[in-house]
Amino acid sequence: MIELKHVCKSYPVGDRINQVLDDISVTLPVDRNIGILGRNGQGKSTLLRVIAGILTPDSGEVIRHTRVSWPIGFGGGFAGSLTGEENCRFVARIYDEDVDEVCRFALDFSELGSYFYMPIKTYSAGMRARLAFALSMAIDFEVYLIDEITAVGDKPFQQKCRSAFAERRKRASVFIVSHNMQTIRQYAEECGVLTNGKLTLYPSVDEAADRYEAL
Amino acid sequence: MLFGGALEAQFRVLHALMLRETRTRFGVHQLGYLWALIEPLMWIATFYLLFMFIDRRLPPGIGMFSFLTTGLIPFMLFRQTLTQAMNAISANQALLFYPMIRPLDLVLARMGLEVATLLAVFIIILGFNALYVGELSVQKPLQVLGGLFLAGLLGTGLGLLSTSLSTFIPAVLRVVPLVLRPMIWISGVWFTANELPTGVRDIMMWNPLLQITELLRDGWYSQYTAHDLDLAYVAAWILIPTYFGLVLERLARRRLELG
Repeated sequence: MIELKHVCKSYPVGDRINQVLDDISVTLPVDRNIGILGRNGQGKSTLLRVIAGILTPDSGEVIRHTRVSWPIGFGGGFAGSLTGEENCRFVARIYDEDVDEVCRFALDFSELGSYFYMPIKTYSAGMRARLAFALSMAIDFEVYLIDEITAVGDKPFQQKCRSAFAERRKRASVFIVSHNMQTIRQYAEECGVLTNGKLTLYPSVDEAADRYEAL
Repeated sequence: MLFGGALEAQFRVLHALMLRETRTRFGVHQLGYLWALIEPLMWIATFYLLFMFIDRRLPPGIGMFSFLTTGLIPFMLFRQTLTQAMNAISANQALLFYPMIRPLDLVLARMGLEVATLLAVFIIILGFNALYVGELSVQKPLQVLGGLFLAGLLGTGLGLLSTSLSTFIPAVLRVVPLVLRPMIWISGVWFTANELPTGVRDIMMWNPLLQITELLRDGWYSQYTAHDLDLAYVAAWILIPTYFGLVLERLARRRLELG
């Protein structure tokens, strides 16, 4: 499970302070898929990054008892001057995975061919996203953090992503944030609503959906 | 997590970062490493010609190559670790995307790479000097090694302070290279403190890098004894900037996240 204890995070906006996460204490189970609904600008991505450990909360703490992925869907973390292969090797090393295995998987899954050995800066946005997705599938995470679901690549590749993900979900769970109810219904079994810095979990997606509609 | 596990994870991250830095710094070809040798050799050649031109005489028993190398490598270690540490975070901000990588790791990885590279350069140049000129006199190897590490730590500490300060005062990144420029002339690359008039020497020895160069040459030559060495003073120049660099880094982190 992932525990959040009195997590606060704020950003200065002009001369005001925007309290994005306001004293959130919650225990997130990892044996179920969880969705978080929130309107734009309500701090969904901030919440995800705090859970991932990229952002340090202003106060409070996050305790992760499992191996949590980086936020999937925004393709940061690649160095443009290095090749796709070198980037994959680096990530495999810091996550203590078999370097050759990860590279083989990422090359095969991303379908980049010889571009895999070219600097990332020569990639199109689509190629970059394909590599990012392939790499996240190459590493065995127990919880995948997902920032919206953005369609990656063309139709056949999307189909491939879906089936890889379905396969992975037998072993891993998903924590997804979105403003789109359809997306949440598709993935989540339990649902929360993030609004005005507060996070409330509801036992059923329907209940959360009603609450979200009422906002 | 157990302490041993955390330590292992830390080393794993530093190792991965150093391999990555090697790639970005020396390029894809193995030949890229030669560049690490070219700069010091160019400086040595320049000073060598200059010394011949002005007919500079070194104290007896001190060879020209070893003299220049023992002055140049600590200077380069200092300058390289400082500029590399100073730019470590801005150049690799994308890597903070991975939760196990902290800004300090980026600085430490670069310091590790610079120290390893210049230590190798030091050994290669003086090794060739020993083979072809037949001059090798490492009196106190540990003192020599210690001097090289101190030069690296001095640069890293000041680099850490500069990078943290620059989040609040961006002009720091422009000022530091200007301050560094005269360092090659005042840090004992082409002279020893004993050759200076007493009044001048007392002032020059306030330069912590000259202290380190003196320490190193004192360890290298049996014919050279350094005076006025003050290790506590050098340690203060390392510890105080490192301390404030780390404290400010905590404060700067919030700003980095916003950017």
